[in-house]
Amino acid sequence: METNIKSKTLDEFKTITGTMINPAVQEWKDNGGKVIGYFCCNIPDEVMTAAGILPLRLRGTGSTGTELSDAFYSSINCSFPRHVFNMALNHEFDILDGLIVPNSCDHIRRIYDNWLRQLDIGFLEMFNLPRKVEEPQVQWYKDEVHLLVEKLEKQFGVEITEEKLKNAIKLHNENRRLLKQIYELRKVDNPPITGGQMIAVIVAGTAIPRDKYNEMLKELLEDLKGAEGIKDHRARLMVLGGILDDPEYMDILEDQGGLVVTDSICFGTRLFWTEVSEEGDPYEAIARYQIQQRPTCPRSYGDQPKRAQYLLDMIKEFKVDGVIGERLLFCDSWVVEHYMNDQDLKEAGVPFLKLDREYILSGKGQLRTRVQAFLEMLGGK
Amino acid sequence: MDNTDLSTLGRKEVLEKSLTRYRKERDWFQMFLDALSMMPELSEEDILQQKMLTILLESKQTVLDCAENNKPFIAGYFCNAPEVFHAMDLPWYMLMETPFLAASAPYLADDIKGTEEIGLGSDLCTAIRLPIYYIETGQMPIPSAVLGLIYPCDGAPMLHQVMMHNKAWKDVPVYAADPPYTSDERAIDYFADELKRMAEFLQKHTGHSLDMKRLAQVCEDGNKTYSKWQEYNELRRAVPCPHGWSIGGPQAFAVSQCFVAGDPKCTDWFEQLVKCAEIRVNAGEGIPGVKERIRYFWFDIMPYGWIFELMPWLEEEWGAILTMDMFGNYPYTLIDTSSEEKIWKGLAKRNLIDAPMIRQARGTAENFSNDIRRIVKDYKIDCVIWPGHMGHKDGSAAGGIMRQTCRELDVPFLQIGLDLFDRAYTNPDEVKDKISKFFTSMGLG
Repeated sequence: METNIKSKTLDEFKTITGTMINPAVQEWKDNGGKVIGYFCCNIPDEVMTAAGILPLRLRGTGSTGTELSDAFYSSINCSFPRHVFNMALNHEFDILDGLIVPNSCDHIRRIYDNWLRQLDIGFLEMFNLPRKVEEPQVQWYKDEVHLLVEKLEKQFGVEITEEKLKNAIKLHNENRRLLKQIYELRKVDNPPITGGQMIAVIVAGTAIPRDKYNEMLKELLEDLKGAEGIKDHRARLMVLGGILDDPEYMDILEDQGGLVVTDSICFGTRLFWTEVSEEGDPYEAIARYQIQQRPTCPRSYGDQPKRAQYLLDMIKEFKVDGVIGERLLFCDSWVVEHYMNDQDLKEAGVPFLKLDREYILSGKGQLRTRVQAFLEMLGGK
Repeated sequence: MDNTDLSTLGRKEVLEKSLTRYRKERDWFQMFLDALSMMPELSEEDILQQKMLTILLESKQTVLDCAENNKPFIAGYFCNAPEVFHAMDLPWYMLMETPFLAASAPYLADDIKGTEEIGLGSDLCTAIRLPIYYIETGQMPIPSAVLGLIYPCDGAPMLHQVMMHNKAWKDVPVYAADPPYTSDERAIDYFADELKRMAEFLQKHTGHSLDMKRLAQVCEDGNKTYSKWQEYNELRRAVPCPHGWSIGGPQAFAVSQCFVAGDPKCTDWFEQLVKCAEIRVNAGEGIPGVKERIRYFWFDIMPYGWIFELMPWLEEEWGAILTMDMFGNYPYTLIDTSSEEKIWKGLAKRNLIDAPMIRQARGTAENFSNDIRRIVKDYKIDCVIWPGHMGHKDGSAAGGIMRQTCRELDVPFLQIGLDLFDRAYTNPDEVKDKISKFFTSMGLG
């Protein structure tokens, strides 16, 4: 896919995304800052920002194998935690001052158990997520945030006031608004940015201080506004699925002539499509955002009709020709979600391609062939 | 594969189709009961089986009667506090029943193939795939309301989301209690509130009411049942073990939680179970015809899809006795019925923390290691077998922790890798081979 955009900021985003411990993290650490690792979209990273700690969302970027973690995980486990834990056992995350693991899925939650027994880290917390999306769950999540604040204050000798939390919410909301502005540019016939580039932008936002991120996003927006749009695409695609943080995966989809114009993935719109309320109790606002307001993944029970509607709305807003449903092997949530998506999209007359994958990109040839066939099918639509 | 388009069927046809399989299963068990009744003399163990079949058939017949005559009944699970709906006199069936019926479900292999054909893939837990398939192909009785289960794994909440998505089921109200990940007082209080909301839901959608005095009585009856279970498990500590895989644990679990809960019928069955075990323990005898050489802890459900190909072989070939398994383990706390609040908290604890599989898989991995520590010591276990069912992904991600625990206890540990329901996943001969090599290399048997 040809893109004519010349942007130093975009190149910087790619550099950040291409490594796990990027220069900004190292600089933060060198200046005496604390870094806490975490997983998934449902951890309230605003709390770390409010504590003056850098929240670093963990990925397996750069991992080349699972030889160490295989002693703890098995072959029926998702390759994402296996790679991440392997990196941890290789001491590639020794820079962390703490780790917060949510019970987001059967594979990720066991990182907590294995880390606890195999590695020494000053602060290791399990964030207890509810499954449902009703009022008692908002209250449960709110209590969890209070507990997390208390523990962070005690461990790191910081004070997380309501004012600091509100300021962090404002800062993170600005991230969200700026990202949404970029997505607005993708709605046009010739968007200025590819799906591969976009994923690099989003991933970077989970790995650098959020104020610096806002500045970079503003620069990028300026660059994009002046850029020529992409014209040579055969079809407009939406990518739907779980943890996808590798720009190269998107590049392969796009090399075949599809242009990814929107998504619902863990490093995508589910992170920023809605905002945390800046009014009233910040704990309540964060809890309500996480449980009821932001687009959810299949682990949120009872929210499937809302997710299906979100998908259809995205397809309409971004003029999507076809949807690619990616899924990490052994993910029980997404296999069933895509089973339902398949039915819903059939009913809506939207072509849908389901793709299973490993966390570290493999089988590129097969992926190309399947996407090519899908695009041909779209062309004949 | 059954691929009838349900939307082309009328209401009555949909009902008939949904009951066909359920009736077959009832008839199968009726045949066993009839065969037992025709025997000239019944042993104590035959009487035990007879009592269990009677309980099971009563449950199935009541559900069928409700479905056929438009009376309220529900679908639920063992860990949805069945004491509550028993106290409400509300008939129910367990949503995952069929995969656990072993030889009574000869169609299982075809159904598993069907799950793949409808697009559920092959790495989703078979115990989740099968009920989805039955719902999607109209082969499960459509109840008045559903009590969903959204723990202990990722598959369970998905099953219920498919149910709500299915056109034939979409008007069936569903409630699922939200499970906290922790097991402290805060978690128990929260879950108790979820169970109270469950009772309100049932009253609203079935017209059956809950009388707290009746619930207290059911819990007290349940306490008698659980006390007997504890007594029975103490008898299983004996060397040789009075019973192996074929009597005890899974049946005890089914009788106390799957078909009925908190009923004198359950206690009566357990009294018979204790009687059977006592006869052998007092005589210093184990399983007839088997010389006990290995006492193993099978840390999961049994391989119901091909149980008769593996479990008898372990006894006959190796003298290996299933001394304890995940579902036969007794960790249940009796319920204090002195106040309404204590009843709800007791039910919350039992269904969140005590119930098998939920107990281990819902929360942190220490639940796996703690059970191994306790059971290995209490039951003089020679080795621990974690079957590594393809659906139990959180457990397999705790395999290293279980291995380490066993190493500390100096007891051999085997992780196999199989499908408890699908014999094609890992061929039974391959499983036998792995077990044989393990026993040999560990100097067991």
